[in-house]
Amino acid sequence: MQNKYSKLLYDLITKYATTQELEWIDLKSVDENDKIQQNFVSTPRFISQTIISNLESLINEVNFTNWNLVRLVRIYFLTKIDPANKENYIKNINTLFETAENKEAIALISALPFLHYPESFILRATDAVRSNIGSNFDAIAFQNPYPKLYFSELAWNQLVLKCIFNDKQINQIEGIHKRANQALANSISDLAHERWAAGRTINSQAWHMVIKYLNETIFKDICKMLESENYSNQAAAALVCYETDYTPAKKELSKYPELLRAIQNNSLTWGQLEK
Amino acid sequence: MGATRKVKFTKMCQKQSEISQNPSHFEGELSETEASANTVSNYMDYIKDMRFFDPHIHMTSRTTDDYTALIDAGVVAIIEPAFWLGQPRTGLASFKDYYSSLVGWERFRSSQFGIKHYCTIGLNSREANNEALAEEVMELLPLFLYKEGVVGVGEIGFDDQTAAEEKYYRLQLELAKEAKLPVQVHTPHRDKKKGTELSMSIALEHGIDPSMVIIDHNNEETVESVLEKGFWAAFTIYPFTKMGNERMVEIVKKYGPERIMINSAADWGISDPLAVPKTAALMKLRNFSDEVIKLVTYQNAIDAFAQSGQINKSDFENPLEIDQSLKFNGNTVLRGGQIPRMDKNSIFIK
Repeated sequence: MQNKYSKLLYDLITKYATTQELEWIDLKSVDENDKIQQNFVSTPRFISQTIISNLESLINEVNFTNWNLVRLVRIYFLTKIDPANKENYIKNINTLFETAENKEAIALISALPFLHYPESFILRATDAVRSNIGSNFDAIAFQNPYPKLYFSELAWNQLVLKCIFNDKQINQIEGIHKRANQALANSISDLAHERWAAGRTINSQAWHMVIKYLNETIFKDICKMLESENYSNQAAAALVCYETDYTPAKKELSKYPELLRAIQNNSLTWGQLEK
Repeated sequence: MGATRKVKFTKMCQKQSEISQNPSHFEGELSETEASANTVSNYMDYIKDMRFFDPHIHMTSRTTDDYTALIDAGVVAIIEPAFWLGQPRTGLASFKDYYSSLVGWERFRSSQFGIKHYCTIGLNSREANNEALAEEVMELLPLFLYKEGVVGVGEIGFDDQTAAEEKYYRLQLELAKEAKLPVQVHTPHRDKKKGTELSMSIALEHGIDPSMVIIDHNNEETVESVLEKGFWAAFTIYPFTKMGNERMVEIVKKYGPERIMINSAADWGISDPLAVPKTAALMKLRNFSDEVIKLVTYQNAIDAFAQSGQINKSDFENPLEIDQSLKFNGNTVLRGGQIPRMDKNSIFIK
């Protein structure tokens, strides 16, 4: 069973690797399964940290912006592990996870959507969300289609909430708008209340998630934001009102003609609210 | 919130009255005695703009306050050797998780304070005595030894000087040879001289170049033989049970700075993570040149462990460029000098 991504990843690697590096990769990619673990670990001894800047080619929905060559080669090696024996395959990957140094962990987490039996690694993926190591979290949250494909609603919502909690860019999560849901909208409202009580705010992008799920409680938040002094809050609330089907919100927006006009003439968009 | 900490004034040297009561501890020249009597100031004043490398410190057992104090005192990089956690481990998974934490969580935690964290990986001498478990650990070690930032096999060697300790010391020397890694050797508290000699002769027997071996926890009794045989001599400045820094200064005076390095070995016991900068301050006060101070508190350790090929000096010589997207409990940490500070004297916690 050939991994369908191996060849594509290899082709991308050839654009960045030196002849000497390619020789090492070619030599090592024919190794037996048990050697692949060691090659994965020792990759930085032979491969440079060259930054991948080629953005035109998406492989498995991933663009490799700001990855380095070591990370890419590591994932390539993982796609070379023979999946014929499922139990061994899973054991091999799990051993790498359990003994991973930080950069190895990043490579492993980013590799999840490229592996066979991806549903077997759900705990690894949700552990990355639980991690307090920013780079581990980022490896599952961004440039990674795994969560949108395999996360339960509960796990998905944790990912998005933790992203908001840590002031990260939620709009960079793959599938962020498609997987919006009522429970998430309610949690965002609760989080906002806690932050407001502490005299803090949440990233205004978060409100994008509530558009289809407005109810009486969340509508009150929106009204409060429209009345607030903070422009990002006002703008986000206005955009929610404009895009929702919730009638009271539509009416509310008409009280703020300047904001409404700005949305209508495209001078106020969600894109502007990105940091 | 104030960005600067309240400066703590520490008395640098013993009082004149204490010196006369205790003459053997302080036998400097008259000018030094005067200086010590008059010097009541913050030791940090003596080491402004100096950088330090502590090649032996167990941060797993220390707090965030220690990390803050380390970077404030100029410690830019550290090595955390794998050691005995105090509580004996009863299964392989405990070892695996511990080694993983040295290359994972602790490495990350350190980076959040702008300190570059390296480690050495090995089976410590005490736990080598649990042979059934030791066998399993030996199989695990190669998985960790080839990782980025693992700068040696350590700390290994003798504790009670048992047959089992010798067996696993020898096996790990072979691992080091194969991985071309330096060896960080723990020497025993009890029967130290004999244990040190034995550690060195076994290393030589295995054909390991002494320049690849750092013999740790030396004292006045062991140093001569270690230097004579061509090994690196590390000294642990650790209150009560190991070296004091005044004794250390005398040793550098006598033997010079070549192949000598100092460390704190700070751990779960009463120890001082600032042992390296404090000793540098004391050396400065005792008129050692900056060059000599740099060798024993920075450069020699780097030269010894960089033989692993895993130390890139630019990682700590320039202030650490910290990825601003990295978050630690929701706080953004920018770089060494900009760690979020708590005002410890404030009753308010914000």
